[in-house]
Amino acid sequence: MLGDKKDDIFLSRWINGELSEQELEEFRTHPEYDHYVKIMTGADALDLRDYDIEKELQSLKSKKSSQAPKKIGKTIKLWPVIGIAASIAIIIGVFLYNPNSSFVTEYGETLSVQLPDGSEMILNAKSKASFNQENWKNTRLVSLEGEAFFKVKKGSKFTVETTNGEVSVLGTQFNVQSQNSFFEVNCYEGKVSVVNRANTAILTAGKAYRNIGSSAEKWTFTGEQPTWLTYTSSFKSIPIEYVFKELEKQYNIQIKTSNTDLKTIYTGTFPNNDLEVALRTVFSTLGMDYNLSKDRKTVVLEK
Amino acid sequence: MIYPTTHLYFIFLIASKKHIDLNPYITPMSDKNSTCNEKVFDEFFKSHSKLLRNYIYYKFGDLDQAEDIVQDAFIKLWNNCSKVTVDKAKSYLYTVATNLGISITRHQKVKFKYQDYVTQRNTDVNIESPEFIALEKEYMEKLKNAIAALPERQREVFLLSRIDKKTYREIAELSGVSVKAIEKLMHKALLTLRKTIGNI
Repeated sequence: MLGDKKDDIFLSRWINGELSEQELEEFRTHPEYDHYVKIMTGADALDLRDYDIEKELQSLKSKKSSQAPKKIGKTIKLWPVIGIAASIAIIIGVFLYNPNSSFVTEYGETLSVQLPDGSEMILNAKSKASFNQENWKNTRLVSLEGEAFFKVKKGSKFTVETTNGEVSVLGTQFNVQSQNSFFEVNCYEGKVSVVNRANTAILTAGKAYRNIGSSAEKWTFTGEQPTWLTYTSSFKSIPIEYVFKELEKQYNIQIKTSNTDLKTIYTGTFPNNDLEVALRTVFSTLGMDYNLSKDRKTVVLEK
Repeated sequence: MIYPTTHLYFIFLIASKKHIDLNPYITPMSDKNSTCNEKVFDEFFKSHSKLLRNYIYYKFGDLDQAEDIVQDAFIKLWNNCSKVTVDKAKSYLYTVATNLGISITRHQKVKFKYQDYVTQRNTDVNIESPEFIALEKEYMEKLKNAIAALPERQREVFLLSRIDKKTYREIAELSGVSVKAIEKLMHKALLTLRKTIGNI
């Protein structure tokens, strides 16, 4: 009923004629009933000022023609375009102004890089080096992964940072090779200090230092510069796994060793610009037979 | 190979991919379903403009302004006809018109205007009914006043039901709420009117 707080749609149902006969009978005797009838009668007699649809449509059309619709298909949202342009600009900016210069060589490649102070860095195959161009004046620091030869101009301390250790000098020529746990430094001119996890070594010209795993050794050598600069890889008493790795890096091949003793020590050289000669040289020295696949990508060793 | 070059290449790849994504904007639509078709548009105007004008009037209280809003809303529909199909046009229209109303009245509290706008039905049989004849002019003024003083939502529902003779379901669809909510508002509107009018 009307007074019932829970029935909050009673009057709506009354207007719609949805009341039951009993409810309607009860409502009719309610003192408020006449008031509601009056309101409804009055409200039902109300109307709005007329709306001339035709006239309104005509006036709409006159406005429409002065505001021609955009052609289908020509809509290109401006904001996404601006957004894309801005992101490109920002991303390009980030890379162009990124003071860190990175250089990477692929299989068989070497790359000569002029450092900001005129020092030279030559990367051997499959190597990666980076340095901070802006901060070069304060710290001559190169991060290296792989092998590179450095000709350092005299000046402040020059440091090559690798995961295996640091090599720093004042002005000299030296070669650093660092991959996995193999770390070798050859000093060609001047004086080099090598700091490793466990060892420190000072190398003068013609001295070399090597660290494989936990064993370190030093020896002397002859030569003005690393042989790889003249397309020859040379090794001195080194486990053959590193020789194989060097072959793989220079020629982008895969050497499949089944039951070869990888610890066999090897001394010798191979050319970096002729795969067949290189393979013959290495494997005949070792007394091994091998098969080169047709696509020249895989070498299978036979016992 | 030098790194920065690789990155630039990568970026332009992303950019060109984004460009392809812009394409859905230019999907053509079938003519019958398109509000760009003048005939379809006119038909749509004839069947929807009056109720839209009343709806906007009940909401914002000024009938002249409501008629302007209807014009503007339909122009907007026409300008965007390539994106709004007929089946979406109604809700588009109501949304656009409501937003226009809100932006116009945002800074002013508009009193519901009924003089010159609300008239008496002259075609309705009700006018001849003995109940109506019994109502004095004074009472009708009081009723219109009371309606003008109703809270917006109650007035909107009450007038759509009484003047436009819309069912609760139709009103519910227009304002996007449940039928039950409309019934509650209608019930409340009557209670409010009864309270405002008092005993005469």
